[in-house]
Amino acid sequence: MAAIYPSDADLPVDADRRQRLADLLLEVARAIDPDVATALPRQLVVDPRLDAVKSVMLRTELDVLEHLHQTVDDPEQLAEAVSGVLPHAIALSAARDERLGQSLAPAMERATQASIRRDPGTLVNILYPVMGPAIRKAIAESMNDKLQGLNQAMRHAFSLQGLRWRLEALRSGSSFADVVLRKTLVFRVEHVFLIHRKSGLLLEHVAAEDATARDPQLVSGMLTAIQDFVRDSFDDASSVEGGAIDSLRLGDLLLWCEAGPQAYLAAVIRGNPPEGLRSTLRDTLASIHDELRNALEDYNGDNAPLGDLVSRLSPCVRQQVQPPERRLSPWLWALPLLLLGLAGYWLVTRYVENQRIAAYVETLRAEPGIVVTSAERLGGQWRISGLRDPLAADPRELLQHTPIDPELVIDRWEPYAALSPGIVLKRIKASLPPLPSVKFALQGNAIHVRGGAPPDWIDKARAFVRALPAGAPAVNLANITDVEDPEYLKLREDIQALRIHFNSGAPDPSAGQEGALDQVAANMKAIIGVARRLGFSVRLSLTGHADATGKQTSNLGLSIARAEVVRSLLRSRGIAPELMSVRGTGTLEPLAEGEAPDDMSSNRSVTFTITTSE
Amino acid sequence: MLQKKICLLGAFGVGKTSLTRRFVDSIFSDAYLTTVGVKIDKKSVPVGDQTVSLLIWDIAGEDDVSAVRTSYLRGAAGYLLVVDVTRAQTLDVAQSIRERVAREIGDIPFLCLLNKTDVVEWDIPTGRIDELQAAGWNVLHTSAKTGAGVESAFSDLAQRISK
Repeated sequence: MAAIYPSDADLPVDADRRQRLADLLLEVARAIDPDVATALPRQLVVDPRLDAVKSVMLRTELDVLEHLHQTVDDPEQLAEAVSGVLPHAIALSAARDERLGQSLAPAMERATQASIRRDPGTLVNILYPVMGPAIRKAIAESMNDKLQGLNQAMRHAFSLQGLRWRLEALRSGSSFADVVLRKTLVFRVEHVFLIHRKSGLLLEHVAAEDATARDPQLVSGMLTAIQDFVRDSFDDASSVEGGAIDSLRLGDLLLWCEAGPQAYLAAVIRGNPPEGLRSTLRDTLASIHDELRNALEDYNGDNAPLGDLVSRLSPCVRQQVQPPERRLSPWLWALPLLLLGLAGYWLVTRYVENQRIAAYVETLRAEPGIVVTSAERLGGQWRISGLRDPLAADPRELLQHTPIDPELVIDRWEPYAALSPGIVLKRIKASLPPLPSVKFALQGNAIHVRGGAPPDWIDKARAFVRALPAGAPAVNLANITDVEDPEYLKLREDIQALRIHFNSGAPDPSAGQEGALDQVAANMKAIIGVARRLGFSVRLSLTGHADATGKQTSNLGLSIARAEVVRSLLRSRGIAPELMSVRGTGTLEPLAEGEAPDDMSSNRSVTFTITTSE
Repeated sequence: MLQKKICLLGAFGVGKTSLTRRFVDSIFSDAYLTTVGVKIDKKSVPVGDQTVSLLIWDIAGEDDVSAVRTSYLRGAAGYLLVVDVTRAQTLDVAQSIRERVAREIGDIPFLCLLNKTDVVEWDIPTGRIDELQAAGWNVLHTSAKTGAGVESAFSDLAQRISK
């Protein structure tokens, strides 16, 4: 009995209550029998009478207490009692919240550790059926990842792009396979369907922005039907419960299914997703099953009890875009090329220009009468200077015949007299009247002149040669023959044979002299033309004569008068007066010595003489 | 959102597909019927104050009942059993389908649709229909040609399965 009550020291408050209860009972006892009070001490820890009272009044309760006491105290009995309610209690607690699991977890862990320490074999045996498939699955997925990477790597190993990626791998220090994966794993999850397995009813559908799909409810049903169809058609016994189409590729579209016991996830993916996406689907589906197991089990077409599935599915709708390549603009590559091209162009044009100028200068140097003293490039232009005989070739004209831009060349020439045979030849030609019958030839340093020339031309040539400075090229005039022009000679003969007759004492020509005058004028005009062609000029000298009759002095005047008259008559016939000279001889140069009338008539005349002049 | 899967069953050529074509939303071609053996359509039916989306699994008709894929029946809340009144044999098929469904997925609500009722000459004696009704069958008359009775058949089944 005492064991039921804890000691006073343990529970002072209870002790106080007990004290008051004892006092109360004592009062009750006194009221029944006053003697009791005197026989008993006022304060009792254990009152035998009280026990007696209790045993009378609380018999049933005490029996129950006794039984419970024994049950609680006896481990055997307690264990038996608890074992009866434990499964139910655990079920209740698990249904209420997670606390049981949380509090059991450490104990379970310790127990597992202890079990492993004692005999690892036991746990291995227990886990084997689970571990086997789990390990196989993990290895398979890992291999799948690797194969996927390897496959991509092989595909891109030898392409131009592959080469670029290889360089990038080198530069960034990552493996080539990593670079390939990073570059190629570009995908977008366009739709995620959460579908009730049994009925094919759509639990939720989430789509990427701007992704289009037909009625998701119908798609969900058809997807389920097709899975059933595949399963039935190929009689895949192993997949009757757990299996579903794993993946299905249709061109660019990929369908990935992840099956759970009650529902499955179907993701419609465009592109090339990484295996990691599958883990996301798997985890999402697992968490949905964990938290909505009951709602899914009891699903009857009403989606309301499932709550907000969109926020659970949304993380599955993701995409990976290819990072925009930070490509240098092609113009940046073009720039150095352009500069290189410009430099090359400049070099080539400079080279070509130098070559052309050099060729031009050579041409100038080869030209007689030109001495090039300098040719240099200055301020983008060529300055060519030197000495030039005025008779030498014109450098500007020579420049016209080259491909050089005339603007490019500035030339300055000091004039000088060259003694080079070519220039001396030119100078001879320039100094003497041109004569077709005369040929010039340059032989070595000597100039040879050949052919026939009138005497006055020959005289001029000799004068020129004499005027040449010492050291000048020799000019050989030995082969020039003194030749008069036959036409000239004939005209001269004709003119000089004509004479104009006069009557005695008269200054005017006698009658019938008009024809002779006309002939003189005509022949004179002709001989002037011939002489001009031959390079010299002619003059007509008119000599007046008188006969021996009359006074000598008057005869002189008469002869002059006669010549003057003829001159004016010729002038009126077109002969320039300055080409005519007049003189009178009186009787001093008689044409006939006799005194006969014929001789006298002959002496009354004007005769003509052709002279050449400068 | 309340959704229900229902099946459309019946012997070959009873006119299941043409019966419902005018009344349902469809995105799949009839080619699915011959390839996959099922085609899924949708029909929204008001029940009380809410709308039920009926996902109709139109299952390819087979005269040999055992050839019907029962996996397509799983999860169905009810079904329409179509009979061609001009061919008594289709009623036999319907009866065996009914038994098969009951065996495979249990006793779920269904309606028996007597199709082609616009045709005057029936091949099925009325006595047989009375028997079926006595056995608890709900029998409705429909016509794929006129569309009569189809809308109410969907509505009726929707009421039954939404209870």
